[in-house]
Amino acid sequence: MKNIIFSLLTLFFITGTINAGGPWVQQKGKGYFKFSEWWTVYDQHYTDTGQKDPNVTTGIFNTSLYVEYGFTNRLTGIFSGPIFSRNYMNNLISSTNGELLIKGEAINSLGDFDIGFKYSLTKPGSVKIPISASFTFGLPTGKTNGGTQGNLQTGDGEFNQMIQIDAGTGFNLGKNVFAYANAFAAFNNRTQGFSEEFRLGIEAGVGLFNKKLWIITRLSNVESLQNGETVETIMRTSIFANNTEYTSLGLEANYYISDKIGVSASITSALRGEIIAASPSYSIGIFLDLSK
Amino acid sequence: MKKIKFLPIITILILGACIGDDFLNDTVEPVLRITSTVDTIEINTSFNFESIYLNNVGVEEDVEVQWFSSHDDVIKIRENDGVAMALQEGNSVISVNYDGGSTALKDSVVVTVGSETISLPEERSGSIFTTSSYVLRGDFVIKMNGNNMLLEFSDNYAASTALPGLFVYLSNNRNSIANALEISAVEVFSGAHSYTIPNVSINEYSYIVYFCKPFNVKVGDGEII
Repeated sequence: MKNIIFSLLTLFFITGTINAGGPWVQQKGKGYFKFSEWWTVYDQHYTDTGQKDPNVTTGIFNTSLYVEYGFTNRLTGIFSGPIFSRNYMNNLISSTNGELLIKGEAINSLGDFDIGFKYSLTKPGSVKIPISASFTFGLPTGKTNGGTQGNLQTGDGEFNQMIQIDAGTGFNLGKNVFAYANAFAAFNNRTQGFSEEFRLGIEAGVGLFNKKLWIITRLSNVESLQNGETVETIMRTSIFANNTEYTSLGLEANYYISDKIGVSASITSALRGEIIAASPSYSIGIFLDLSK
Repeated sequence: MKKIKFLPIITILILGACIGDDFLNDTVEPVLRITSTVDTIEINTSFNFESIYLNNVGVEEDVEVQWFSSHDDVIKIRENDGVAMALQEGNSVISVNYDGGSTALKDSVVVTVGSETISLPEERSGSIFTTSSYVLRGDFVIKMNGNNMLLEFSDNYAASTALPGLFVYLSNNRNSIANALEISAVEVFSGAHSYTIPNVSINEYSYIVYFCKPFNVKVGDGEII
């Protein structure tokens, strides 16, 4: 008998990135650093047919670091990772007699780290629409099967590689009103029987009050190639939100308290999804922008 | 200084990620059921009738019941323990009653007295249906094979492969697996297949239920008829 402990919901969410995105790279020796808290709590999820079904209330909270650093004027190193990740599920209690039916559990650990590079394919500052290519390694540093049922997870247990192309442009909308827009396409090659993914996204931001306040919106889409293993064929002990698909919309605000230090807040929600949490995710953060 | 103010906010958020309570509506109607499967009792022999009481969450409870026979001259039954004596050929309705104050329950079977003891055909059946948006369907038959119960699904069975951790249970509460018997993790997702379940009697459970075990998400169920 195959020893299968499946789980799906732990990373059943949209990791609403609140990082400095787009094709723009850091100048040599410059950087961008963010410390943030991201979380979602959900009691329903999108099923494989795109409909919503209930589940035991589950929460995941990630305390993360995000770092961009310019190794050269065209090559930027990027680190993104939850340095503390907490995943929990609620107690299940009989509404008839108050009996504890299933005890809730929680785990705390690292999450999955991403390490990557972004290379500007165009000479920075020389073109109106810069283009960059990124390569990201997803490291399985999180925990894959915590709790008595093995269903609490802070990582997917697989090493993935993602290549991404970004293009964008900045422009003025009026006096002291700045704006930018960018788009990306990415291919995520996954291991351990997970399906590969094709990702697309667009982003637009407006800088107000002499660029002290940035309002940003993002539309992202993830499509699974559905070429991974299924519960019929899998032989290992964990599968982690395989064949997840979604289209999400995010809204983010960044406010510079000083020239270099700022705070951010964001909310991201799925417009549609398959095998993913049907609740918004939130984030707040503080950043140090040394790129100026 | 502003960084220092920000840190407590994150600390509060992390601490706020505490395990809470979800409540499951698992109320069902209490049931009193005769579990004995005898059809005919051999004349001048005894037979011990048995029953099961399931409370308002479908959990078996020991309660005091009373047994009655409609025709004491055919089958005489002891009121307190269900031991019956077949006295002469004929038919009698054997009843079991439970008076729990606000709850009065009864179950009855017609039993014949004849030349040999005959059990009812030990076979029940039903169909499973999805109660979620995951695929689950199929007809099933359960039958006894010695002390083992055999649960057989027909060719028309299908279950979603998208939901990890799918398990099948026998339960007396279609909404909960808290006191159910776990049969197995589901490894067959289409077509005919069977499970052998040791030491279970055919009238012990009322439902087959499918749950995503790791997350206690109900997928579907089927009443055993």
